[in-house]
Amino acid sequence: MSTITAPPLASSWPRLRGVRVAEVFVLLFFCLVMALPITFMLAGSFNTAAPGQPWSWGVENWVRAFSDPQTLSSLWMSFLFSVVRLIPSLTLSVIVAWLIARTDMPGGNAIEFLCWFAYFVPDFPLTLAWILLLDPHFGFLNTAAKYLPFVDGPIFNPYSFWGIVWVHLGTGGIWLNVMLLTPVFRRLGASLEEAARVSGANTFTTLWRITFPVLSPMILAIAVLSFIKGLESFNTELLLGLPARIYVYGTRIYDYLRQEPPAYGEATALGSVFLLVLFVLAFFYRSYLQGKKKFTVVTGSGYSTLRVKLGKWRYIALGGIVAWFLIMMVLPLVFLIIGSFMRRYGFFNISSPFTLAHWQNLLGDPLFIGSLKNSLVIASTTAILGILIYSIVGYLLASRKLVAPAALEFFCWLPWVVPGILMSLGLLWIFLATPLRGILYGTVWGIALALTINDSPVSTQAFKSGFMQLGPDLEESARVSGASWSYTYLRILLPLVAPIAVTVGMLNFGSALTSISTPVLLYSAESRPLSILLLEYSFTGEIERAAALGLLITGIICVMMLIGRRFGLRLTGPSREEAKPRGAV
Amino acid sequence: MKTILALLMSIVCAPVACAQSSDWQKQWDETLTAAKKEGKVVVVGSPDPVMRNEIIPRFTRQFGIQVEFLAGRSSQTLGRIRIERSSGLYLIDVYMAGAGSTFYSLHPEKMIDPLKPLLIHPEVTDAAKWKRGKPWFADAEEQYVLVLFSSVESLLMVNADYVKPSEIRSAMDLLKPKWKEKISAEDPKTDSSSGAGMALHWLNELGPDYVRKLYVDQKPTLSKDRRQLIDWLARGNYPICLSCKIEGANELTKEGFKLQEVFDIEGIRNRVTASPFLLTYANKAPHPNAARVFVNWLAGKEALEIYSRENRTATMRTDVDESFLDPRVIPKPGVSYFEAIDAKWIANGRLEAAEKMKEALATR
Repeated sequence: MSTITAPPLASSWPRLRGVRVAEVFVLLFFCLVMALPITFMLAGSFNTAAPGQPWSWGVENWVRAFSDPQTLSSLWMSFLFSVVRLIPSLTLSVIVAWLIARTDMPGGNAIEFLCWFAYFVPDFPLTLAWILLLDPHFGFLNTAAKYLPFVDGPIFNPYSFWGIVWVHLGTGGIWLNVMLLTPVFRRLGASLEEAARVSGANTFTTLWRITFPVLSPMILAIAVLSFIKGLESFNTELLLGLPARIYVYGTRIYDYLRQEPPAYGEATALGSVFLLVLFVLAFFYRSYLQGKKKFTVVTGSGYSTLRVKLGKWRYIALGGIVAWFLIMMVLPLVFLIIGSFMRRYGFFNISSPFTLAHWQNLLGDPLFIGSLKNSLVIASTTAILGILIYSIVGYLLASRKLVAPAALEFFCWLPWVVPGILMSLGLLWIFLATPLRGILYGTVWGIALALTINDSPVSTQAFKSGFMQLGPDLEESARVSGASWSYTYLRILLPLVAPIAVTVGMLNFGSALTSISTPVLLYSAESRPLSILLLEYSFTGEIERAAALGLLITGIICVMMLIGRRFGLRLTGPSREEAKPRGAV
Repeated sequence: MKTILALLMSIVCAPVACAQSSDWQKQWDETLTAAKKEGKVVVVGSPDPVMRNEIIPRFTRQFGIQVEFLAGRSSQTLGRIRIERSSGLYLIDVYMAGAGSTFYSLHPEKMIDPLKPLLIHPEVTDAAKWKRGKPWFADAEEQYVLVLFSSVESLLMVNADYVKPSEIRSAMDLLKPKWKEKISAEDPKTDSSSGAGMALHWLNELGPDYVRKLYVDQKPTLSKDRRQLIDWLARGNYPICLSCKIEGANELTKEGFKLQEVFDIEGIRNRVTASPFLLTYANKAPHPNAARVFVNWLAGKEALEIYSRENRTATMRTDVDESFLDPRVIPKPGVSYFEAIDAKWIANGRLEAAEKMKEALATR
């Protein structure tokens, strides 16, 4: 009889100690860059003195903010918007991601790429394009509809509740969700699905009972992200909601911040509602995940990514997605491109309506080249930092070995529940208070760090979900074979989540190029990025040049996406041709 | 006789003038040398295409001094500067801000130093060059806040294809049912917008009840985007605009769109503003010499004429060509105007009016 010897306890202790040390470091880092600025802002909301005067404590700012009758009505409106957008956006994105990653639908890779592209088309010019299409007075579609026999008057109106929901569905939400879900679907091993099918389950039952529950951590995380983002949203509502007297919660905060002097106290008080929502959602999210191992899909015992065969439905599915994409993205994008070549955006009835002047002025702007270089440095740094930091955070959260996982999880969400400009103000305060202010303040490095912090929710959740899909036996096998933790992490775990790392890197790269609220308080003349130039053009009504710059930024992101995707797909494993069962990893 | 007297005067005064001239020249040359050593001047203001496309290139070409222009919403930029200053960082030299930021933040929070002593160039110090007989400082001490523009604002704009200006002769005409849902305006509740400034003017002149009827009962369509308002006006969606300005409509009027400013409405005075900015000098400016060169040049004829042409605004200078301006924007002597940067209005009136505005619009 052979004797099985347990691995020496000593070998797991340094591993656990490493996790503890990493946890402490990460918690300290997050305390410094996230909790401290927010605490500072919250404390500031109880300061009732005028700016520049000694602090005086009181609750007047909170009372003023919440006693305004418009506060509650706007919060309700934001809630409605958020829920109404969330349902179709999540449903569609789950279906599209599944079709791309788990079925034999043709053109999946191209569609995934188009989603990436669509996500990074800037919102502001795209919303203007929708106005051009849907405005009840001059909208292209309404004008065209007049020629139909049964139409009497405008049939579309972007300045309405449903108009806003529609525009939101085209600007960001679904595209981002597909981008986040696709790599997770891809990573899903087929063994469970195969087992279900062998047991007689059809495709729908397998999806409903096996695939979606297994992927529920990511789907839930995305739902929470989308819900909070929906509550905060105000840019589109500002342009489309105000004419219809639709006021949302974000607009209330925006109004307080635009006052002279700005009412930071009231704005922070209102922003605290997002913190409360986060507490509640985070509690339920953690309760759902706690103590369950049902999300493991990649183990050491076998791994395959067999795709579901859709038969004739594969062309119908492809047609549906292409139609959706044509309507939601190509149509407004065409108008956006045309707009950038128009002397006056949307005015076709003026003499010589088309011109190259806006592109020439953009490329000839003395600030352009410097801003472009800054943007590329900032975006690349943000992408790399994001992968380095959040892969570790994601691993820690998935490891279930933490002392304070709830605290860490909560910190990771913070940047998205505090209005961007308030978060930037807090970070500015932190940057200036540290001895590193010479390196961080007014430099591309400071902006990159701030943007990295801002990317925490998506990046962390993406990595966490990726690591949760990996079975503990992979790590155990490596340990038993004598591999150190760092070796296991770098050579086994990280390659398995490499597609997610590429996704996170590209997402962070794109967000860094388009973000405005974070760099607006941190840039100097030497570190001005393109997004600030875009802000200046929009602010001064030069929307044609803003459209040109927006398209250019999208083009840069597009090139990076192509490179990143090629790299990512190589790391993903089997391509369509080789999508058949294979052995252990 | 007059000729002899003039000759005698010139003989007597010439050495004094010569000495003064050499005095300022010496000071100017020294300042310029020091400014070039400093290398740059840091200016804060609203995003401004005139500044970006015209002022900065010309100034840099002329003096070899770089201009770092930090553009942003004043509420955001000042928040940032407050934190910088509380951390001991003094990075700004010159502010080009609106009346609200200047009088409610920069001045009371002592973020600015006297600007008057910086003015040394004879083109700026020469009393004859200024409509008020001297450079106009709008603060009580007459030291800090230099007013470079003074222009009459139109009360509204109309698209004459849809509304004849003669149809709006009195303020009450705007309340006629036929204009219901035909009016657009900037949100009057956004304190920092100029649209709100104009709404406060209506309230100050005609009372809260009138403002409620105009901004609530007439159901104007609101926007926070000036470009959107002008485009609506040009297309005739909302042929009366309470917040549009002609500088945003230049291109469209050249194309034949009949967008017209309305200045004369019975029952309400015209408003004179210092738009687009008031000039101030930052406290503890890191580049004092470059700042001095910049403010002297910016207050001079060349720079102000650029602004005047681009923004269709009348300046405070006597030597700036105004032939291309609509004569109605130039304040006329003897006419009673409402002065938007009047000390009393700034100190109390505006804040009280803002409170009344909130009450008047509370029913919305």
